[in-house]
Amino acid sequence: MELGRLEYLQALVTEFQVTDSTEAKEQVLANLANFAYDPSNYEYLRQLQVLDLFLDMLTEDNETLVEFAMGGLCNLCLDKTNKEYILEASGVEPIINCLSSSNEETVVSAVTTLMFLTTPRSRAQTTALPVVECMLRFSLSANTRLSNLASIFLQDYCSPPQVEEARNLSKHTAVGIPLPKD
Amino acid sequence: AAGSSGGPGAPCRHHAQLGACESRAKYREGWRPRAVKVYTINLESRYLLIQGVPALGVMKELVEQFALYGAIEEYHALDEYPAEQFTEVYLIKFKKLQCARVAKKKMDERSFFGSLLHVCYAPEFETVQETREKLQDRRKYIAKATNQRDCFVLKKVEGPKKTASRNSEHDCPWSTSGSHVASNWDPACFTSSSGVSHNTAYPSGNQNQSLLTPPHYDNNCAEIAGYFGQNTSLTPSVHPEGHIPPASLMQQRMVPYNGIDRFMPRTTHLQERKRKREESNKFSLIGTSEDNTEVVIGPQLPEIPKVDMDDESLNTSATLIRNKLKEVADSVSTSVEKPESSSAKPLVKQRRRI
Repeated sequence: MELGRLEYLQALVTEFQVTDSTEAKEQVLANLANFAYDPSNYEYLRQLQVLDLFLDMLTEDNETLVEFAMGGLCNLCLDKTNKEYILEASGVEPIINCLSSSNEETVVSAVTTLMFLTTPRSRAQTTALPVVECMLRFSLSANTRLSNLASIFLQDYCSPPQVEEARNLSKHTAVGIPLPKD
Repeated sequence: AAGSSGGPGAPCRHHAQLGACESRAKYREGWRPRAVKVYTINLESRYLLIQGVPALGVMKELVEQFALYGAIEEYHALDEYPAEQFTEVYLIKFKKLQCARVAKKKMDERSFFGSLLHVCYAPEFETVQETREKLQDRRKYIAKATNQRDCFVLKKVEGPKKTASRNSEHDCPWSTSGSHVASNWDPACFTSSSGVSHNTAYPSGNQNQSLLTPPHYDNNCAEIAGYFGQNTSLTPSVHPEGHIPPASLMQQRMVPYNGIDRFMPRTTHLQERKRKREESNKFSLIGTSEDNTEVVIGPQLPEIPKVDMDDESLNTSATLIRNKLKEVADSVSTSVEKPESSSAKPLVKQRRRI
């Protein structure tokens, strides 16, 4: 079946909304998330409100859906329009919550997305103390992917005082965002 | 230990070959069976892990095969990595991510000396700097593909003037350092066809695009990245907001910037050149534009007559044909001759009756 790009994406979105099958939902979401990697699709994805779809999926119980949605956001959030949309839609909070996921891919996508979403206006949120503190712990992880990203977060997106403050905080409390279990 | 066990060299979850998805709806079945997986910039890497290489001493052939897709920086066998019996595992590091991407796509599930290769990305082998560069390249790519210029850091790098001269050879969408680059700015760099002018022209899937980041970009970014990344002791006097993320810096810098008169967004430049070209064409052939009285030089192109769409004369041919057809239909004739359709003169051809 030959479909134009927009129609194809529309078909995906429709299937997602209509299907009862979890498996189908996961497949479609993965498909959309992969499409989100390519800027030539961004107009369509915005039209079809896929950004909202991704954001909504972040609070699902199904870990796979969260993983794929987080990946999708990570893929498309560098585009200025998408970035502003996500920030306007209060997307930072659910993304920060993804840092607590036990799913490695979800966490890694969340760290990168927070970096990509950091702007002068949003950085108070994206580099809030609990986040910096979390990144500190991630930077010590044996998981190289995670520790690399966390290090970059701390070095490039946080000021030294911020890092210092977080360091002091973690010395005194045991509470924090747990590292992924994988 | 958190996350996957161990660092590089240990099996990671993202190396696992997932089974192909069997249950896809027809309309979204691809050419090849694919697993359900999402690829992000975190998963992709210049490092590729190759499993299933038959233990026949074929490393050289393997590397040669992969080298078809791009320059390889490093390669070696991974002896500690769990491998199926009679197979080996290799790590190949490409110079460019795009090449790794293509190589993976082409070589995954390919038969090699009788054994099926499994190729996957191995980002856990990256250094912090390599990961940083990867993310920055991604930023640049998006900025370019979506015509957005707010991608990069613009600290006053006192540094390498060599970046300026390299930039002048290629499309340079942003001013990477202070006044050095601006003063060496060559507007010709905007005409480089290696750039991307609009996202609609951009191939989907962004695979295989070697025009993405010419080598000097990587170096350039590395310098900037390195600078930005390593300079953790910024004093407020240098930059009021400390580690400001790249996006905002660009925006803030634009206005007070010294070399701003030289900096024009690429699309504007292209339009300018197009306009100038059109103007000069106009002048060379016609010699004068409509609204001034300059001297005509050179041959004048015949003016395209303005057509009055209501003019009856436009229907001459049609009317002629219609009439002719009527004539032919009316007349009793054993021989039917096709009316002369294109002639402007109503020719009545005499048929010679034999």
